Amino acid sequence: MFNYTLRRILTVVPTLLVLIIFSFYLMRLAPGGPFTSEKPLPPAVMKNVLERYGMDQPLYVQLWTYIKNIVFHFDFGPSFSQKDRTVNDVIAQGFPVTLTYGFWSAVFVLVLGIPLGIVAALRHNSFWDYTMTGLAIFSQIFPNFVLAPILVLLFTLSWGLLPGGGWNGGQWEYIIMPAIALGTSYMAGVARLTRGSMLEVLNAPFILTARSKGLPERTIIWRHALKPALLPTLTYMGPVFVYMITGSVFIDVFFSTGGIGQDFIDGAYSRDYAMLLGLAVLYSLLTFTLNLLLDLMYAWIDPKVRSNL
Amino acid sequence: MTDAKKRLNSQEFAQTVSEEMITSRSFWADARRRFLGHRLAVFSIFMLLALLLFAIFGHAFAQWSYEEIDWNVLGRIKTEGGPNWENGHYFGVDELGRDLFARVVQGSRTSLMVGFVAGPLAVLLGATLGALAGYFGGRLDQFIVGFYTIWISIPYIIFFVVWQAFFGRSLTQMILVIILVNWTAGLLIVRGQVMMLKNREFVDAARMLGMSDFAIIFKHLAPNILWVIVIYTSIVIPEVIMAESLVSFLGVGIQEPNTSWGALISEGAKTMTFGTLWQLGYPAAFFVIAQVSLYYIGDGLRDALDPKDRR
Repeated sequence: MFNYTLRRILTVVPTLLVLIIFSFYLMRLAPGGPFTSEKPLPPAVMKNVLERYGMDQPLYVQLWTYIKNIVFHFDFGPSFSQKDRTVNDVIAQGFPVTLTYGFWSAVFVLVLGIPLGIVAALRHNSFWDYTMTGLAIFSQIFPNFVLAPILVLLFTLSWGLLPGGGWNGGQWEYIIMPAIALGTSYMAGVARLTRGSMLEVLNAPFILTARSKGLPERTIIWRHALKPALLPTLTYMGPVFVYMITGSVFIDVFFSTGGIGQDFIDGAYSRDYAMLLGLAVLYSLLTFTLNLLLDLMYAWIDPKVRSNL
Repeated sequence: MTDAKKRLNSQEFAQTVSEEMITSRSFWADARRRFLGHRLAVFSIFMLLALLLFAIFGHAFAQWSYEEIDWNVLGRIKTEGGPNWENGHYFGVDELGRDLFARVVQGSRTSLMVGFVAGPLAVLLGATLGALAGYFGGRLDQFIVGFYTIWISIPYIIFFVVWQAFFGRSLTQMILVIILVNWTAGLLIVRGQVMMLKNREFVDAARMLGMSDFAIIFKHLAPNILWVIVIYTSIVIPEVIMAESLVSFLGVGIQEPNTSWGALISEGAKTMTFGTLWQLGYPAAFFVIAQVSLYYIGDGLRDALDPKDRR
C-alpha cells in the first residue's frame, strides 16, 4: 500500500513538470505578452518592467527560477496584471472559497445521488425508478452553464429566495446555488450508475444465498449489496472530480463567488503568465490529489485491487 | 380457417418469407432496422437535420446580418427589442441591438461545425492510436496507455483556456485544440477490440497472404471495429459541443462578432436581470434541442450496434 502510494506520487511529479515546462514555453512563444498594449511602452520603461519580472533573462533560466520557487518556497511569483498582488495572495484568498462550495457540491452529489440510485434499484421499474431515470437524462442535458442561469432566474429573480451571486464570507445562502449548479448533472450520473450496479449486484448469486439464509432485507442491502454496488460509482468519481474542478471556473465567474476561477479567466484576458500558469498548476495538483485519494479508497474497499498493488 | 391462418398459408406470404431468407441481412442492414425501430432516435435525426438546415440556410431568411446594429431599437431594447415579426427580428435583438435570429443562426453554425468536425476527428485520432496500441502491443502499448492514464487525470478545460488565451480565438484554432484535448475518446475500447480481433483466423490469413501490418489494421480490422467508432463519435459530438459552449461562456471562446451557443447563452444570462429573457431563451432552447437529439441518436445507435445491448 505504502509502495503504491509512493509510486503514484512519483508519477505525479514528472507529469506536473512536463505540464509546467510545456505551458511555460507555449505561453512565451505565443505572440504578444502581458505588457503589450495599444500604445507601446517606451523602450527604457519596457526594459525596466521586464527586468522587474525577470523576463530579460533567457527562457530556461526563467523556467528554472520558476520551478525552484514553487518547489522550495511554494511561491508562484508576482501577478503580472494585478500590480500589488502575488499569485499566492490570489490563491490564499480565492482557493478556500472554491474549496468550500466544491466540498458542499461533492456532498450534495454523493448524499443525494447514491440513495436515489439505491431507491430506484430497489423499486425497479416503479414510478420512482422512471422519475429518477428521466431526471438523470434531463440533468445530463442541462449542463451547469444552462442550469445556473435557470436557477438564478427562479430562485433570485422570480421568488427572491436566494442571493444570485456573491459570497459574503461563505454564509449558507450564498453556497446553496453554486453547489447545486455545479453538482446536479454529476449527481444524476452517480444516481444512474449506482442504480445500474445495484441492480446487477442484487441479481448476483451471493445475494440469493443471503436471501435463502433468511436474512432480513435491510441486512442484505446494508451488509452485502452496498459495498460491491458502490465500487463502480467510486471509479466514476475520478472523472467527476476533474469535471467539477473545471466546472468551478464557470461557477466562480457566473456567481462572482470570488474564487480562483475568476482570476484564472482574468489572467487569460490580460495574458498574465504567472497567474494562468500558477492556477493551472494548482488545478492539476488538486485533481491529482483527489484521484490519488480515490484510488487509495478504492484499494481499501476492494480486496481484489488491494492484493494487486 | 381463420384469416390469420389463411394469410400464413398464402402464396404471397411464402414468397416474401423466402425472399427475406434468401437475401441474408448484413450487420449494417440489421442495425439500420433496429435503429429505425427506435422512434425517439428517428425523430431526433429529423430534429438534428432541421437544426443543420437552419444553420446552413438560416441566413437566407434573416432580415438583418449578425453584426449589424438596429439603431431603431437600441436604447429601448427592454420594451421594443423583443421577438417581433414586423421589424424582422424574429427572435428579438441582443443587448447591442443586433438581430438575435441571425446571431443564433451564426452560433448554431459555429457550435455544430465544432461538434461535427472536431468530434469525429478526435475519435478517429484516438481510435487510430488505440488500434496501434492494441495491434502491436509491447512497449508501444505501454507508452500509449500510460500517456492516456495521465492525460485523463488532467483538467483539460483549464489548458483549453490557457491555449485559447495565447493563440487567438478563431474557429480552426478551436477545432484544433478540441481534437488535441479529446484524443482519448474511444482509445481504450478500440484497443480492446483490436486485441481481441488480432488473433482471429482472418487476420492470420491476411498475414499469410503477405499483407503489411498497416494494411491489416486499416483494411481488415477497421471495418470490424467501425461500430465502436460510430458509437463513440455519437457520444463525443455532444460532449465537444458542450465543451466549446462552456469555454465560450467563459468568454475565451470564439471571437466576436462571430458567436456560438455558449457565448449567446452567456450574453443572455448576463442581461436576464433586465427582463430581456428572449436573449437567454432562444440560444438555450437551441442548445438543449441539439443536446437532446444527439443524446437519443446516440442511444439509438447503441441499441442498434452494440452486441451487448441487444434486446
